[in-house]
Amino acid sequence: MAKLEIRDLHATVEGAEILKGVNLTIAQGEIHALMGPNGSGKSTLANTLLGHPKYKVTHGEVLVDGKSLLDLSPDKRAKMGLFLAFQYPVSVPGVTMFSFLRAAYNAVHTDEKNQAPTIFEFKETLAERMGLLGIDESFMNRYLNEGFSGGEKKRAEILQLAMLKPKFAILDETDSGLDIDALRVVAEGVGKIANNDLGILVITHYQRILKYIRPTFVHVMYEGRITASGGQDLSLKLEEKGYGWLKEQAGAVA
Amino acid sequence: MAQSAVSRFTEEQVSSISRRAGEPSWLMEYRFEALKSFSSLPLETSPLYKKYGGVSAFDPEQFSVADDEEAVDMRGHFEGFLTGRETNIVLQGNSTTVHIDLDERYAETGIEVLPIRDAISKHGSLIKDLLSRRLADPKTEKYAAFNAAFFTSGIFIRVPRGARAPSSLRRLLVTRNPSSSIVETTIIYAEESSKFEYLQEVYTAESQGPFLLSSSFDVFAESGSQVDGTSVQLLDDDGVYVSNEGASVAANARASLATVFLGGGVTRSRFNLGLNGRGASFEGYDVFFCDGRQRFDLDANLVHNSPDSQGALTARGVLKGESQSIFKGMAKIRRGAKNSHSYIAHHAMLLDKRARSDAIPGLDIDTNEVKATHSASVAQIDEDQVFYLEARGLPEDEAKKLIVTGFFEPVISRIPLEFAREGARFTVEGKWSGERRRLVDKETLLALTGEVPDQERHKSDDIFERHYKYRG
Repeated sequence: MAKLEIRDLHATVEGAEILKGVNLTIAQGEIHALMGPNGSGKSTLANTLLGHPKYKVTHGEVLVDGKSLLDLSPDKRAKMGLFLAFQYPVSVPGVTMFSFLRAAYNAVHTDEKNQAPTIFEFKETLAERMGLLGIDESFMNRYLNEGFSGGEKKRAEILQLAMLKPKFAILDETDSGLDIDALRVVAEGVGKIANNDLGILVITHYQRILKYIRPTFVHVMYEGRITASGGQDLSLKLEEKGYGWLKEQAGAVA
Repeated sequence: MAQSAVSRFTEEQVSSISRRAGEPSWLMEYRFEALKSFSSLPLETSPLYKKYGGVSAFDPEQFSVADDEEAVDMRGHFEGFLTGRETNIVLQGNSTTVHIDLDERYAETGIEVLPIRDAISKHGSLIKDLLSRRLADPKTEKYAAFNAAFFTSGIFIRVPRGARAPSSLRRLLVTRNPSSSIVETTIIYAEESSKFEYLQEVYTAESQGPFLLSSSFDVFAESGSQVDGTSVQLLDDDGVYVSNEGASVAANARASLATVFLGGGVTRSRFNLGLNGRGASFEGYDVFFCDGRQRFDLDANLVHNSPDSQGALTARGVLKGESQSIFKGMAKIRRGAKNSHSYIAHHAMLLDKRARSDAIPGLDIDTNEVKATHSASVAQIDEDQVFYLEARGLPEDEAKKLIVTGFFEPVISRIPLEFAREGARFTVEGKWSGERRRLVDKETLLALTGEVPDQERHKSDDIFERHYKYRG
């Protein structure tokens, strides 16, 4: 089983240090939840892992299967099996969902012999995954994320996750902006995809998504570090007590 | 180069052109008048030529003009541009129209396609009238004057009342080391309730130095007619392309003009559009994509003279390298043109820090009860879009290519002619990878692009598409 290892990761955004030594290891098949107050660095971690040019790693290491990915461009990281479901998926006007998925599928599933999957293979997988997630065919002719509702955007992200079959998926606040029904649909979708080959990091503020995607491990991020780790009971404690006690705890440590 | 006080071009040159063609005296007079205007009008100025491209990058005086057709070896000249299976096609090599082919179904409609010189002998008074009605006026427009004084080629198309072209007519103009400027005048005259589709492609096969292609293209859409025209320009960087395109649209007629500008060192294009009858409508689509040191100077004038008229012009451009573009779009709604709708939009995307694009849209409205909007934006390619696609496994270059081709889609997908639409996508994609592609015929095109694109023309009942401001 491959592992995603984050070791003492420090990162800056426009000169300001946001990540101040993150340590986290996720194995394929495991589900981890990452919680924490606004501005604690959760989304920065997600974007840094995929290599967004705005985020600069100043110290530390990120390994997939023992191989460092910090020098790799985002597309190479995706090919190594890393996936980010975006908190705010951008729209790309003029590019249909279909042509985008085809390009991404080809890019990620092209083998060492440079053999790209055939159009038939692609269409078959697509039909099967869309069926699994209950996504309508009309989705395919629409421009990527353009005019999508909040729920549609997040479902489109999960469809991409299902098509690209990564080893590790980071779901960055996939539950934000969704009503109860949409949340259930999206979370159930993730449930259908989760398997022993997929390690998941769910970034969230709320306990409710964790009712559907049951994490084995829950971590709390505070001011750029993971300051507490535990099981589901930790998320319940956060729900009940809020994040205030973290501050006291951090104060006590310092 | 400073403007010479006295024009190098002479009346003798003009009369020689006119005499050799056996033109009627009114036309020789018309040309003399045009030469006078040309000599007295100042050079057109544009920040593009002055600041960045050296003064007057396309002063016609630096190019010679021909007084006669030059011999073209048909087979050699069009090598690589034709499959041999084409029908309903007009071929022009440098300044010579060498081939006009219409199939039987076409011929039955009574549609006439003639070299402009033949049309002058056959339909003298009609041509005289149409020349005088052109919207780019040789009296006030220097390059329209140049064209009028020196044109030796071009075609005339007359679509008789009620005739409907069974398919689109293609015209291929291929330059191959022209010995002098190519100056051509083309007119489409669509009579009442007729229907016509036209696709013009301009290519360079070979060049050994700068050359000028001056083009004048006018559509007269009489009442109830429907004319769709597309022009694709893929000259090489030696080419200086100076064009005036006009459309005069009568009551309840509909005309569209699409341009796909990818080639040429300097492209200077003027659109003059007149909505001249109740219910007239016009759609314009401009696609341009420049790289290296290319300069595109585009200008559009959309004039509503009649009530219930609709006019929409959308331009989208992408600029790489050190290329520059400028777009001026003006919508005028005259008194009495009540209940008219006018729309002009220009959006440009920059791929390099040194690329530059300016847009100057304007409205001039003399009446109430109209709807007129314009929008313009110029922005660098969106870093977040690039990252999103890269995070899905697409290498940076492929991610940007997808964004760029997508950026053009809102314009390309609305080009009425299917072949032109596919051709635009195909040539734009080629341009991304630095290839100058050719449209060739549809079968070959589909074979080359692989899958048959199943994207239908983007259906839009409302030409006043919602404003789309590029994120920046």
